[in-house]
Amino acid sequence: MRFDWVADNMGQILMMSWAHVQVSVLPIFLSLLIAVPIAWWAHRQKSARRVLVPISGVLYALPSLPLFVLLPVVLGTRILDPLNLVVALTLYGVALLVRTAVDAFDSVGRIIRDDALAIGHSPRQVFWRVALPLAGPPLLAGTRVVSASTLSLVSVGALIGVPSLGYFFTNGYQRGFPTEIMVGVIGTVVLAVIFDVIIVVAGRLLLPWVRATDRRRG
Amino acid sequence: MIRFDHVHKEYPDGTIAVDDFTLEVPSHEVVVLLGSSGCGKTTLMRMVNRMVDPSSGSVSIDGDDVAHSDPVKLRRSIGYVMQSGGLLPHRTVVDNIATVPLLLGATRRSAHARASELLDLVGLEQSVAKRYPSQLSGGQRQRIGVARALASDPNILLMDEPFGAVDPVVRAELQRELLHLQNELAKTILFVTHDVDEAFLLGQQVLVLRTGAEVAQHGSPANILLDPADDFVANFIGGPRRHLRTEMRDGRHIVVDAAGHVTGVLQDDRGAAG
Ligand SMILES: Nc1ncnc2c1ncn2[C@@H]1O[C@H](COP(=O)(O)OP(=O)(O)OP(=O)(O)O)[C@@H](O)[C@H]1O
Ligand SMILES: [Mg+2]
Repeated sequence: MRFDWVADNMGQILMMSWAHVQVSVLPIFLSLLIAVPIAWWAHRQKSARRVLVPISGVLYALPSLPLFVLLPVVLGTRILDPLNLVVALTLYGVALLVRTAVDAFDSVGRIIRDDALAIGHSPRQVFWRVALPLAGPPLLAGTRVVSASTLSLVSVGALIGVPSLGYFFTNGYQRGFPTEIMVGVIGTVVLAVIFDVIIVVAGRLLLPWVRATDRRRG
Repeated sequence: MIRFDHVHKEYPDGTIAVDDFTLEVPSHEVVVLLGSSGCGKTTLMRMVNRMVDPSSGSVSIDGDDVAHSDPVKLRRSIGYVMQSGGLLPHRTVVDNIATVPLLLGATRRSAHARASELLDLVGLEQSVAKRYPSQLSGGQRQRIGVARALASDPNILLMDEPFGAVDPVVRAELQRELLHLQNELAKTILFVTHDVDEAFLLGQQVLVLRTGAEVAQHGSPANILLDPADDFVANFIGGPRRHLRTEMRDGRHIVVDAAGHVTGVLQDDRGAAG
């Protein structure tokens, strides 16, 4: 590990980290935004579940590099457009989250949703005020997985020229320079930890009852 | 006034929960549905707030068929205390009590003010306000259930075994408080229980139900005690347990049941209540 190289190239490392963050944030949000309604639908309709859950599983098995190459053809984007990466990462995120989110909504239970209806929530209010918050803890756990997965997949984008910490892998590999590879690896891990902390803190703020009621049990 | 008119309910799986049920619950009275598990009590109750729609027949409130009402509005206008408690686990006590006022568009501030009034009304400390339901005792939860049902001051209360999950001492206390509240509030209450004593204590009218919500007997508590319609009713309300006689012992009257077990002591003339 050549720390002088790290110090000399700090500017570029920070720039690439920032680029990495920028490409990652959107797919994480979009995955949640897309997977939740799909899961709600699958949760409420057996026939939808039978199709959607397996499809999302298969989606995740698609190899990433061919997908990056294929998407421009499908989307009509240029091959180096960062949009390809965003779309691909969102697809993976959705694939990861759908099953978790369906299970999350299942875990809320019909009785409590029925009770909420019975005291005067409209079906829409049952979703926003009862089902979604109660599905919160498993959804949060799923989002943490998506965050970690997205941050590591973004690196693959370096192969199609989208700037990220992945650049240091490819470049370091071509040059046979381990320090640079290490920077890519450590940088990605650091970002993953930071994202995870942010998500956990957001969860504490959004789901205050989880901790309050856990304390009593534990 | 709530009116059930020849209602019948068959669930999709073929279970006939209610066969042919007719009843008028007069305004400001407490009518109790008394029957053993599975006889259709909850089904009847949920027809009033359209959580269940009758397969045939109709339910009306003050002459208006509920089938023509908007279910969400209807439910907000009726207080419902659920068998399961039904509190939202992710909401604090005040938020649970304030649910319906908030759904009706009250400001948070006024809904919370109302909620803390209700905490007093149902005999709870203000200190529980910020707790979550899982941090309460069973008795406290049931009080919150009652407070929530009263929050928007509905004319009608549906109470489905509201005191089922607490010990006899707390239950007796809750029953007394409900009677006290009812003296002040004079709601129209449809009350479900399988506890005979509770039914006789709270109900101005009591209906003893068989499977399929068939009415075995409908009358005042005294009526049913003095003159059970048949063996089913006589057995249900306690059979020989309630055939009491007195015997003299040590110069005082003791009360003895049919099997000879002592169940109480008659107060002498000087000590008024008996
Ligand atoms: N959603 C449903 N689908 C099918 N059958 C049902 C449904 N709900 C209730 N039943 C059946 O209808 C009958 C009456 O049920 P109901 O819940 O009204 O009884 P209950 O008198 O309230 O009983 P308990 O005292 O145990 O609460 C029972 O046989 C029950 O199994
Ligand atoms: Mg019931």
